[in-house]
Amino acid sequence: MRHPARTHRLLAATTGIVALGLLVAGCTPTGSNEPIGEPQDGGTLTYASGDAEPSCLDPHVGGNFPQALVSAQYLESLVSRDDAGQIIPWLAESWTPSGDALTWDFTLRDDVTFTDGTVFDAAAVQANIAHLQDPTTLSSTGYLALGKVASVEAVSPTVVRFTLSEPDSALLESLSQPWLAMESPTALERSQDENCASPVGTGPFIVESWVKQNAITLVRNDDYTSPPADAAHDGPAYLDEVIWRFIPDSASRYAALQSGEVDVIDNAQPDTIVQAEQSDSIDHLDSPRPGAANRIELNSGQAPFDDVRVREAFIRTANVDDAVSSLFQGTATRSYSALSSVEATAVSNAAVFDYDPAAAAELLDDAGWNETDADGYRVKDGVRLSVEFPVSTNQSIPAEQSVFEQIQATAKETGFEVKLAPLDLSSWYAALASNDYDAVSAPYTKVGPDVLRILYHSDSIVPAPSGYFANLAQVSDPEIDALLTTAARTTDADERRDLYTDAQNRILEGFYLLPLYDQQNHYLLRGDVVGLRTLPTVAVPTLYDAWLNR
Amino acid sequence: MIGRVAARLGGAVFVLWAVASITFFAVRLIPGDPAQAVLGGPGSQASPEALAMVRNEYGFDQPVLVQYLAQLGRLATGDLGRSYALNQDVGPLVLSQLGGTLLLAVLALALAWLLALALAAWSTRGGTVAARVGSGLETVAAALPHFWLATSLIVVFSIWLGVFPPVSTGGATGLVLPVLTLAIPLAGFLGQIMRESLLLALESPFVLSARSRGESERGVLWTHALRHASLPAISLSGWAFGSLISGAVVVETIFARPGLGRTLLNAVTLRDVPMVIGVVMIVAVVYILMTLLTDAATRLADPRLRLS
Repeated sequence: MRHPARTHRLLAATTGIVALGLLVAGCTPTGSNEPIGEPQDGGTLTYASGDAEPSCLDPHVGGNFPQALVSAQYLESLVSRDDAGQIIPWLAESWTPSGDALTWDFTLRDDVTFTDGTVFDAAAVQANIAHLQDPTTLSSTGYLALGKVASVEAVSPTVVRFTLSEPDSALLESLSQPWLAMESPTALERSQDENCASPVGTGPFIVESWVKQNAITLVRNDDYTSPPADAAHDGPAYLDEVIWRFIPDSASRYAALQSGEVDVIDNAQPDTIVQAEQSDSIDHLDSPRPGAANRIELNSGQAPFDDVRVREAFIRTANVDDAVSSLFQGTATRSYSALSSVEATAVSNAAVFDYDPAAAAELLDDAGWNETDADGYRVKDGVRLSVEFPVSTNQSIPAEQSVFEQIQATAKETGFEVKLAPLDLSSWYAALASNDYDAVSAPYTKVGPDVLRILYHSDSIVPAPSGYFANLAQVSDPEIDALLTTAARTTDADERRDLYTDAQNRILEGFYLLPLYDQQNHYLLRGDVVGLRTLPTVAVPTLYDAWLNR
Repeated sequence: MIGRVAARLGGAVFVLWAVASITFFAVRLIPGDPAQAVLGGPGSQASPEALAMVRNEYGFDQPVLVQYLAQLGRLATGDLGRSYALNQDVGPLVLSQLGGTLLLAVLALALAWLLALALAAWSTRGGTVAARVGSGLETVAAALPHFWLATSLIVVFSIWLGVFPPVSTGGATGLVLPVLTLAIPLAGFLGQIMRESLLLALESPFVLSARSRGESERGVLWTHALRHASLPAISLSGWAFGSLISGAVVVETIFARPGLGRTLLNAVTLRDVPMVIGVVMIVAVVYILMTLLTDAATRLADPRLRLS
């Protein structure tokens, strides 16, 4: 997460040093090294995304990260989250849970209208929740997040009441996500095709046009009144227009940024980040995603990882630190936690993940894997110690795939045969659904620690009709289940934190997962783009405070 | 005449049926769940209810053979179906992307011909050094992979020299690098073939008799030998056009250019069967038309064929 104050001090210091260097060299500072003045109105910013082009601009439909990236410019949620992890007001001014935490009353702002002129009120919230819960909307992410919401009613035009089937400590975090943003109820009544092409929100920009495979054009909402509580200014955005493009190839995306054809790019890869950091005209914004850290899950539901000693041996034999520092070239920090470092409740325990091949060898001997075959792999009862590791080439960037190869190499020294299988997304889902894996890495973005329940509660081992299940480590521990279930029902902040701490310690010490680093989320921007920050909810950029220093 | 046209048409229909069938089974039999793709792909966890609805709506719960026959039935009526991933009709979507790719392919083919002709003419007449250099250039050009060439051109012309944009948004300057990327390797192929047949032609009796009639060297080359030498290259152009469309997959992705290639790549990764079949069918139609055109062009260039 980016801390604006700290960044500004850093920027000031950098500017000073650069200016001094140039003075010594007898040059005059130019371009981005000029002091930053008052924000300027106007201009067009071009954003180039490396993510897939969404098939629908309404994030209620489906609900993935590419939709969140662009919809954060024109849709807004009831609440947001600040840098410290506190939930803050947005379209809702305040909220009060009942004593039993089963009813929540949200007081809404009374001065907000959607960009089609429809008034934002309690009925609008009701219509949005109904839209998300309607099976024909085909919502995935939003639908799951509202699992405990039984009904929504308008108490008055500015008060909306959520009634829950059981207490949900993650309700506010869920509502802060861009997949549950508020759209004009008038616009939602149109056909899904129409609403996908031009969703209508309350945000600082308006979707003007969308030429498939080319660009989405957003224009400023001149009547904008509803920035989140942590925004840097009030009133309309500074930019006149935003062109949102899709450039799938990493090298072309960076070349377009270098040549000035685009102003901001996402999905910056380690090699381009290192190049950009040597450039005066390009700035780097590192904003890890919330929810789970990127990690390798060990399938404890079947041999060989059903034996905790084999799981521990695998973790002791994986030299992750060296792999991460060399392959990510210093752009990623090693994680020792199941959760992203942006989650205030994250428990980090480096001692659990020490690299110690000698200890690994002993553990394998203890576990009965004490013979070695001609190829140098451990054998038990005539079976080789093999680890099937399907890798999603859509989700694991090239540097991450190389990290897996390094782990494969170091694990071989202790006698593990790691079989990496690079697969496209559908084949990868199929491999997981048929339980055809021993190790796997799957990203999961969600606001708040409730992601632990999704990933490590035994309920999540039960496959959905699709065959997919989120508990890929297949953790089935009644104590962990109890801690996670209680935490999900506990609205007292301290008590909730303690429960999640206990649950995480038990998960980490069970050697179910090998954390790698936070879910990487790097943006590069030209030096004359000022004021761009990411929303601390799911770390998507907001262009509301951004302006062009040209 | 009517018999020949009927045979041609029958052949075309057979090719289209085969293309549709092979594509359907190739995409459909890879393990994976198209319902997941319909519901947003990476990062989104589809609810069981939504998956069940999608399965029912798109007929994924039917046996594969039933799905195949339904697909074929729709195609027979000219209906390319609805894209799983984009939730739009495939026909208009594919047609809207066709123009950009055709423009790219036609320009690349034209440029490849120009480069190949120039190189062949120069290297056959410029003595042994030119012959070696020409042959070397052709071999290297023909071996260049598109992705490498595209990235190198971006580094040189966009980043170092700053003359052409690295992203092809439309507009003439954006076309230069994608066209060069496709044309250079193809020029290598065509050049090799042209130079060989040009050398053969220059040694043949009709060239000797043209010379003895007092034809200038330039006249010998351009009106007699090159016409003869271009025949194999013309018949190769049909194939070349197909290879340009497949090259467009790489080039359109790297230069972020809208077109059929990029549409196809997205559709394949998402298991979007109607979309993949739609693109492949359109490409097959273009390919068939292109073969007809090269046949006609061969007839024009070779008077012997016109007599029979």
